[in-house]
Amino acid sequence: MPPAIETTDLVKEYGDLRALQELSLTVEEGEFFGLLGPNGAGKTTFINTLVGLVRKTGGDARVFGHDVEDDYRQARDAIGLAPQEFNVDRFFPIREVLEHKAGYHGVPEDEAAERADEVLKRVGIYDKRNERFDWLSGGMKRRLLLARALVTDPDLLILDEPTAGVDVQLRHDLWDLVTELNEEGTTILLTTHYIEEAERLCDRVAIMNEGRKVTVATPDDLKTRGTDTISVRLESQISAGATADLETDLGAYAHEVTTSAAGESLEVRVDDGGSTAPQLLNDLEAMGYEIVDLEISRTSLEEIFVDLTRSEDRTVTRSSASSADDGAEENGEKKRDVEREREQEGVA
Amino acid sequence: MLSVGFRALFRRELLRFIRRPKNTFMPPAITNVLYFAVFGLILGGRIDEPVEGIGYILFLVPGLVVLGTISNAFENASFSIFHGRWNEYIHETLTSPLSYAEMVVAYVGASAVRGLIVGVIIAVIGRLFVPISIEHGLFLVATMIVIASLFAGFGIIGGLVARDFDDLTVMNQFILRPLVFFGAVFYSLEMFDQAWQVQVSLLNPMVYMVDSVRYGLLGHSDMISVAPTAYAEFAPYVSLGILTLLTVVVIAVDVYLFKVGYGLTD
Repeated sequence: MPPAIETTDLVKEYGDLRALQELSLTVEEGEFFGLLGPNGAGKTTFINTLVGLVRKTGGDARVFGHDVEDDYRQARDAIGLAPQEFNVDRFFPIREVLEHKAGYHGVPEDEAAERADEVLKRVGIYDKRNERFDWLSGGMKRRLLLARALVTDPDLLILDEPTAGVDVQLRHDLWDLVTELNEEGTTILLTTHYIEEAERLCDRVAIMNEGRKVTVATPDDLKTRGTDTISVRLESQISAGATADLETDLGAYAHEVTTSAAGESLEVRVDDGGSTAPQLLNDLEAMGYEIVDLEISRTSLEEIFVDLTRSEDRTVTRSSASSADDGAEENGEKKRDVEREREQEGVA
Repeated sequence: MLSVGFRALFRRELLRFIRRPKNTFMPPAITNVLYFAVFGLILGGRIDEPVEGIGYILFLVPGLVVLGTISNAFENASFSIFHGRWNEYIHETLTSPLSYAEMVVAYVGASAVRGLIVGVIIAVIGRLFVPISIEHGLFLVATMIVIASLFAGFGIIGGLVARDFDDLTVMNQFILRPLVFFGAVFYSLEMFDQAWQVQVSLLNPMVYMVDSVRYGLLGHSDMISVAPTAYAEFAPYVSLGILTLLTVVVIAVDVYLFKVGYGLTD
């Protein structure tokens, strides 16, 4: 069975801006895969390339072995997308919106109606089935996007920041639902800003930055790549002059040593706190210090994420990407304002 | 071509305008009642028969039917595409496994149906003002389907090209309507006394559409009198043939634009 997603040297250029830079990524069938990255990293561009909303500039992209351009019908049929934007048909009650979407995917009318009811119940907004999208609350809108992605019974479910701006209860409901879907065999690609979400849900995560893949690993593997901090409280104070010597005396395992203002405690940054702590204790005792207390703080995935996506040229690229995002947001607002005016003028 | 997906999109497009008669069918109905009342009843009695045996109000019917049909077909297709782009819900279609040809034919077909319904409404309104007997029924039906599809096809291009709602208004008001008004809706080419006036009019494609519908409905065609004698009697069929070809070309352009994602994808 071919991978659910396989891209090779995928490139997308917008004029001078390279949104995707030779991105090669493989997501296996049945995986729960996370895409992490700051704004402007290229996550949504990547997703939109798979579903046909963005035309790639170069490279290859396949979904279950189907080229996203040459075999676009098969590729799109396999995908259910819950995007960030509320891009839902405003003319029809949500039940009909789902029926239409299922119909476009070749589901006969009767079955489409059954499926629409089923997914509305599954995401918990069945009682709103005769409402139009604009009358739903923010959380319900999010649920509907998920329902629309599910109504075609996709083999690959793509969730583009599904929990952005939703309350804790809904976030947990969505987590439970997608976990259940994944256990039923659906491959899931999730983009998120919430590190906790990726850590909790994903089998593997790819960290992207500036259109590039920085790394792919399991959340646990990623965490081992960070540094830990060992905090030590001492019986006696360390003199100001002794701090500089400590870093040298402790050897290569101590990447950084800082002492408190009072000089009665110190923090040592090391690769693996658990295995390094005994050696640190021995070394400090050998230097004549008495240890009162010791605590190890592990690096969070969030800190690792920040480390991995921090780069020299990021300031320039990120600021331009961020401006572009702001612009898009602003345009979106303008669009909505004009749209409201148009709605008042009537419908052509 | 008639896949489940195609039928679903076609149905969705039909329902969009059928459920909003106040926005879609009432305005052309009211406008045409006014046209028939003012130009037909009030002014028409003071205007000589533009063509022998056909009173002015009867002469107006085919032109107004064409005007209503093509402007509604164009408006429906351009609005449907542009509104979908504007609110991005056209993504529901674009991310589906429908072929590009299926998408285009569904949009064009539904918009053509709206144009045809409006055309029938206008003909019925005209019938309230003047007796009408259809002279060439099959020819009339074929012509109406072709011109409704042609302008639905143009509407797709308009919807893809437009960058805001004002662009759609500009297309309708500044391109479509002038061509229609100089397209022999309100006058006959036989009323011109200068040859160049006829020649210039023949450059306007609307003239052929209005003339073809007039031939189908009333049995009169200006083309028969202005065309070279050798094929004068076939002139309406030549017009229909050329319009059909043009429609196929425009729909092919629509499919191409969908395929390359013009105005639809980044």
